[in-house]
Amino acid sequence: MPDFFINGQPVHAEPGQTVLQAALAAGHYIPYFCWHPNLSVAGNCRMCIVDVEDGKGGTWSEIACNMPIEEGMKVLTETESVRNRRKETLQLILLNHPVDCGICDKAGECMLQDQHYEYHGERPVSFEPKVTATKFHSLSERIVIDNERCICCSRCTRFTAEVSGSHSLAIQFRGDHSLVRAVEDGAFDRDPYSDNVVDICPVGALLSKDFMYRSRVWYMKPTPSVCPGCERGCTVNIWHRKPEWKLNALDPRRNASIERVTPLENPAVNGPWICNKGRDLAKVFERPRAEQALLKGKPAELAEAVARARDLVAEAKRPVALVSSWGSNEELAAFKAMLGTRLAAFVKHDAVPAPGEVIEDDVLIRPGKNPNRRAAEALFGAAPISFPDGTDLVLVWGEGFNFAGLPRGAKVIFLNSYLQPENGHADVFLPISVQTERNGHYTNFEGTVSEFRVCFARKAGVADAEAVFAALATRERVAA
Amino acid sequence: MPGTPLLMTFPVTATSHLLAEYLARGGYGALEKALTTMQPVDVTKEVTAAGILGHGGAAFPVGRKWAVIKPNDGQPHYLCANADEGEPGTFKDRWILENNPHQLIESMLLSGYALGVRNAFVYMRGEFDMPYRRLQAAIEEAYAAGYLGKPLHGTEFVMDIVIIQGAGSYVCGEASGLLTSIEGKKGYPRNRPPRLTVKGLYLRPTVVNNVETLSNVAVIVRMGAEAFRKVGTAKSPGTQLVSISGHIAKPGVYEVEHGYPLKKFLFEDCGGMIGGRKLKGLIPGGISAKVLTGEDCENLTYEHGVFDKAGSALGSGGMIAIAEGTCMVRLLQVMLRFWHHESCGQCTPCREGMGWMHRIIDRIVSGQGRMEDLDQLIAISNANDGTTICGMGDAAGYATVGFIAKFRDEFEYFIQNKRSKYGGVLEVGATEVAHA
Repeated sequence: MPDFFINGQPVHAEPGQTVLQAALAAGHYIPYFCWHPNLSVAGNCRMCIVDVEDGKGGTWSEIACNMPIEEGMKVLTETESVRNRRKETLQLILLNHPVDCGICDKAGECMLQDQHYEYHGERPVSFEPKVTATKFHSLSERIVIDNERCICCSRCTRFTAEVSGSHSLAIQFRGDHSLVRAVEDGAFDRDPYSDNVVDICPVGALLSKDFMYRSRVWYMKPTPSVCPGCERGCTVNIWHRKPEWKLNALDPRRNASIERVTPLENPAVNGPWICNKGRDLAKVFERPRAEQALLKGKPAELAEAVARARDLVAEAKRPVALVSSWGSNEELAAFKAMLGTRLAAFVKHDAVPAPGEVIEDDVLIRPGKNPNRRAAEALFGAAPISFPDGTDLVLVWGEGFNFAGLPRGAKVIFLNSYLQPENGHADVFLPISVQTERNGHYTNFEGTVSEFRVCFARKAGVADAEAVFAALATRERVAA
Repeated sequence: MPGTPLLMTFPVTATSHLLAEYLARGGYGALEKALTTMQPVDVTKEVTAAGILGHGGAAFPVGRKWAVIKPNDGQPHYLCANADEGEPGTFKDRWILENNPHQLIESMLLSGYALGVRNAFVYMRGEFDMPYRRLQAAIEEAYAAGYLGKPLHGTEFVMDIVIIQGAGSYVCGEASGLLTSIEGKKGYPRNRPPRLTVKGLYLRPTVVNNVETLSNVAVIVRMGAEAFRKVGTAKSPGTQLVSISGHIAKPGVYEVEHGYPLKKFLFEDCGGMIGGRKLKGLIPGGISAKVLTGEDCENLTYEHGVFDKAGSALGSGGMIAIAEGTCMVRLLQVMLRFWHHESCGQCTPCREGMGWMHRIIDRIVSGQGRMEDLDQLIAISNANDGTTICGMGDAAGYATVGFIAKFRDEFEYFIQNKRSKYGGVLEVGATEVAHA
């Protein structure tokens, strides 16, 4: 049985749904700006006003985002009068909006731009000069606001009140002089989820300083990935340059760099949000990379280094392995299958909280800062690292282990992705790929498995850890 | 007095606002009557039977608002007296707050008894200084005398009243904006549904009534609904406190019985226009009510149905009389400046529309107007019609449309000649008053 009708089509509604929610779920698009599925209803943009037949030949109109569904009600979303009203509303929204899409970071994914094209795209009817407001007011170290572009939808203030709980943004003044501002200096800096307001801003008012003027969005494509920042394992989109828009001039490194990170909506893990640390994955993955295999600090061919490592493993009497909790499920399984019986394995916690970092909160951030600890401990146990007497070989996979803790006289095989001083101290150093260069899965602290995919080609001279483990166990050649 | 008074029944003296004099006038008798002989539901029935309409501007039947509240549904209910009298031209609640504050307290106690209220609030505009001091003193007197804060007349009914002072926002006079302000937030009106009588203050059922409306509750209980209905007309029982200002000889607060002839009120009770001028226009109930021309006012009686038919409304009773020789373009400019300044900025049509209309009228007054501007003003008004969260956008739109429709020739004259037909005069007869 249909619950109600949209433009004559029967639509089923769940209890408690509003007309807008049911309409979107059923594929009837009603334009909106201030409404957001994960925030409370504000009903201030007035864009979603629809007509409802009153049964007496007339209609009444109300905002769909706050309209409870009544059995059998007949909602009209595409009539001439509804579309005209949307045009009027858009004209009012655009009255003091600068329409500077040409230099706006949001262009291409801007809800206002989309609606402007759909309903209008005409010159404004107003003769009056636009109300000027602050351009590029710094709300925090990470976010600026362009108050002229702001349409006062209050999504950002509701986000800080309802999701991140910092209550750090509010609207100052009233009328067409309303300004979104931090409630006090530094308040928005202390919100570890502040960058989400850039995503939920329906226009280009809230901008990330990091992404400012970095790239037009249509030159980039998102690759689904998993944030390795903590055990929550939030799913993210890593945005990088499309191959067809490859840069030949300028800085070619931009072709293989992370332009920005946005949340990939995932109700099972992170909903539509991620924390600021997840936005800064470039700071993790774009550290100086190790691209050269080393034998006691001397450059060597990768195949030569792997062969030497294989010999060391074969000769060792009591080998120990420190397994990375940043390894993917596939790599961990490969290690277990290939070398699990040969080496005594301990799970190594590659990352510890940085100074000043939020350790844990009740939104997303987890105290453990290693994405795949749960899967690693399921395979290798949770025992703390210890070296039995007579340990003569240690295989260290991944960063974060202080070499001073190694047993005296033991040979060291070190697999690492980044340029670090320890690399040269190992008997064999093998450069391995990072997360953005391979496919894989992480298991988060709740056991939810999420997939990450290749964003960039593996660097020359670098091996996948999985292939290294296979080569150490068998006699396969490692493809570099 | 224009008709039978219900509220202005005593001569105002330096002490008439005190408890002793209120008791001498029979004060708190209705409270005793209700608490000793009536159940809460009987009070609601009495108020419903009296057929009183809200005096704050929207003229919503009080009985229908109260009927939604279920006094024994196990959750707290709140009562809020709206003393945020911000509608330009309106200053009638001020008379009650200054001269008869105990009647408001008694009425709030009666209403609280009927609605199952433990905590009641008075939201008073911040500019009200003497009303605040008078009401606060009266509340303290009522606490000392045991009317507030203690069980009364052997019942379990206890109520407290707290005054909340606003900070000078027009929109905080809107019921939901007022509650948001009491909650300590920015005074943004809320979307309905839910209605405030379902989820109001702190998301609990809340009744918000105007000070004058509430003050009538004691009158109704004291005289009974039947006797109350004998005052006024069948469709608009009772009286309305009218605060009249503008170009009128005797401005001030008058209590007008519904059904009283408007012309008689203006020209006999209020002494006519300044200097015997003609009545050019009348804003009958605060600037949100549509303006009437002098001709419209002929043969009108002061009651709800009649004014609605004439294309306006009684509104808040804040009458502004406009004499011949006033520039209506500049008057609309003043009004639009007010709305632009007071738009809370929450929803789009009003936030952008008020500023837009203000800039257009400013341009017209500066001599840069175009004929299309008048249609543009009407178009913006229509874009505000029924699309905003609260009534302010609609009200500003109606008023603007009313001004342009009724005085279009004057607007066109201004645009064509780049000057006002009446020299831009707003203060008609100011010198005559000064010399009087």
